Amino acid sequence: MVDAARQPLIEVKTYTEVEKVEGFVGNFKVTLREKSKYVRADRCNGCGDCAKVCPVEIPNYFEMNLAPRKAIYIPMSQSVPLIYTVDLDACIHCYKCVEACGALQAIDFSMQDKIVEEDIGAIVVATGFSHFDPTPMEEYGYNRYPNVITAIEMERLNNSAGPTSGRLIRPSDGKVPQKLAFINCVGSRDKRFNPGCSNFCCMYSIKNAVLLKQMNPNVDISIYYIDIRTPSKGYEEFYDRARSMGIHFIQGRPAMITEDPQTHNLFIQSEDIALGRVVEHEYDMVMLNQAAIPQPDQEKMSSVLNVARSPGGWYMEYHPKLRPLDSPTDGIFFAGACQGPKDIPASVAQGSAAASRASRVLHSDSWQIEPTVAVVWSDRCVSAQGKPCGICERSCPYGAIDYQQGRAAEVITAKCHGCGGCVAECPHDAITQLHYTDAQILAQIRTLLAEEPHKKILAFRCHWCSYGGADLAGTSHFEYTSNERGLKVMCSARMDTDFIYEAYRLGAGAVLYSGCHPQDCHYITGQVVGAKRAKRLETIFERMKMTPGRFRVEWISAAEGDKYAHVLNEMQATLDAMPEEELLAEIDRLRPEMEKRLGRLGTIPGVGPALDYTQGIIEAMLSKEVAVK
Amino acid sequence: MSEALDIPEEELRIGVYVCHCGSNIAGVIPPKEVAEFAATLPGVVHATDTLYACADSGQSLIKEDIKKYKLNRVVVSACSVRMHEPTFRGAVAEAGLNPFLMEMANIREQCTWAHGHDPDGALKKAKDLTAAAVAKVSFLQPLDMIRVPVSKRALVIGGGVAGISAALDLAEQNIPVTLVEKEPTIGGVMAQLNKTFPTMDCSI
Repeated sequence: MVDAARQPLIEVKTYTEVEKVEGFVGNFKVTLREKSKYVRADRCNGCGDCAKVCPVEIPNYFEMNLAPRKAIYIPMSQSVPLIYTVDLDACIHCYKCVEACGALQAIDFSMQDKIVEEDIGAIVVATGFSHFDPTPMEEYGYNRYPNVITAIEMERLNNSAGPTSGRLIRPSDGKVPQKLAFINCVGSRDKRFNPGCSNFCCMYSIKNAVLLKQMNPNVDISIYYIDIRTPSKGYEEFYDRARSMGIHFIQGRPAMITEDPQTHNLFIQSEDIALGRVVEHEYDMVMLNQAAIPQPDQEKMSSVLNVARSPGGWYMEYHPKLRPLDSPTDGIFFAGACQGPKDIPASVAQGSAAASRASRVLHSDSWQIEPTVAVVWSDRCVSAQGKPCGICERSCPYGAIDYQQGRAAEVITAKCHGCGGCVAECPHDAITQLHYTDAQILAQIRTLLAEEPHKKILAFRCHWCSYGGADLAGTSHFEYTSNERGLKVMCSARMDTDFIYEAYRLGAGAVLYSGCHPQDCHYITGQVVGAKRAKRLETIFERMKMTPGRFRVEWISAAEGDKYAHVLNEMQATLDAMPEEELLAEIDRLRPEMEKRLGRLGTIPGVGPALDYTQGIIEAMLSKEVAVK
Repeated sequence: MSEALDIPEEELRIGVYVCHCGSNIAGVIPPKEVAEFAATLPGVVHATDTLYACADSGQSLIKEDIKKYKLNRVVVSACSVRMHEPTFRGAVAEAGLNPFLMEMANIREQCTWAHGHDPDGALKKAKDLTAAAVAKVSFLQPLDMIRVPVSKRALVIGGGVAGISAALDLAEQNIPVTLVEKEPTIGGVMAQLNKTFPTMDCSI
């Protein structure tokens, strides 16, 4: 902590929030809100005279609300930086602190929040975790029985800098407990709350038990556990040491805690798997090792950073094994528990590793980004003919299109992120996207639907999320129909209505239109552009009386492999429920409708010749099949 | 840039590589049959199966074939683009081919792994996905990466152990760092702890 504050190249900004992150790798524009502390950092010397005279006392979050703090405060005595903060919500404006500060004149109630913008090359996200509140687990009586506390509360009570100067006492009567129990996996490995393992709690409870035993060898300690997990170096040895110290380990998840209302002693009822029976033991005090959960503002931060979250709410890495610290956004990296529960050694190691990933970018003079950007065919743009339009400009999440009536719209390449929204939105087919041209995608569609198209489900997926969801379905071996034929674009914004009409014109049985959830979009609001279009298509197909379920719109994250498989299987069930002749009749009935909407397709540069060429591929595919049969 | 949008005029010489991925793909479908099928498609001058396309041997094979058969497009039917697209783009680039002239078909995550109980369906799908990749690659044009400048400053969000560790390591490499913490002090959860396992030293 102190090292970080002393290091001249690190500017520590506490009491500061990240409001906005724009731009891209090497070129992020970050907006920070430096909240006003009402104490001037250049004058405060941390003497604390102000807090001594402050008449307000409120619970201190840092002490898990077990001790008070003043309205002008530092969270702990070793705070870095050692600068006081006025909590304006608690302050009664008596200004005694100003008086106490005297000639230093460090307290300044006229200070305002400061909004600063910084140019950033790479970002390391290390926002950590939060603690599960066991109150909803009524069986353990937390917040009802005074002597049931959480492990992190015990941590403060047992800390020499804490509210009791390190004396662990019972909240009910202030007595020192002689018989204690720890319960592991409180809210973790529990399908009602958090199905995952919180990673460090086994070692954490053992550590706390060892500490208590070292201070007082006569204290009687039991740890209730489901499994003891000690996979890192030196951990199993530590567990052995705890057992040799006489700490009891009871395998079983306690079903219930009851309390003697007179003594406030506690009775734990639990299965003891070693004994093969249900046991009940009495304790002076019980500590709950609560689950590690994502920060309450992790959802908000994921939108600010444009990074997705895994099931359970932790940030999702690019690849769990190959790129465990990279976010899916180039130039943003994860370290520590924000990506999933981790202990201190792992968090420190990840911090160093994330620094190394970030420094690859920061030590480079320039960084390469994908050239899959949008390009305008100026001769097709109606603005060049003096007509008003600007649809492309309005659909762009990045302000990367320069539109002025009277001349052709222009894409500012350095700002374009390649979502393809403008390409699909342009009503005059005057824009294309490199590497995802209409010709290329239509060629894929025709090939995928070459044979028995009515049996096929054509699935459009975005690169970042639903393609990842399909990957995860496979990685998890979730079986789904092999009639699915997948096709990838960068964002649902690129999923042109022409592609969907063409799929049905060719006789596709069903079409899936899928991308990310709105808050996960890799292109800020690309998904919104895609979703609006999908809605329009739904209405159109409804009016055409297309059988419901033959066109499906689903937002599937890279973490939702089960959903991908489930949706595909449901779509297959829709097709299975239709007699084949009925399906074929519907396809024939709707074909002229689709053709009507595809009138201009052949005029798009490159599409005509591309489709002629594709016909050769299709014929080769079909003849090969015949030969095999 | 508009030349990148034209239909290729050069004669197409596509190479197709169908990966076994050990038994991950070959355990469900015969990759050889997919390769034989691909060989019949227009523009494909060479198609073969390979045990591990991503291994050195697999990559060398592709690189040698690019020279031997004068390939100007490559299709790799293997795993997810999220897994190995950079690998194969790199491999074809080493052989002098523009990396954007390589296209992958995902016949592992999105085929054999998801249709393990339906090998016939999986085989049909693998062929279709490979054919679609051949179709796409036929219309691909060489592209150059865009180079952007880099601001020499890092932002670390969160002043707990992980953030502090990252900030220190970056600063020690001479990179200026902004370390942002929403609370009035850095330290995070670690600062709330008493001694820490397994060495039982002080957390601060």
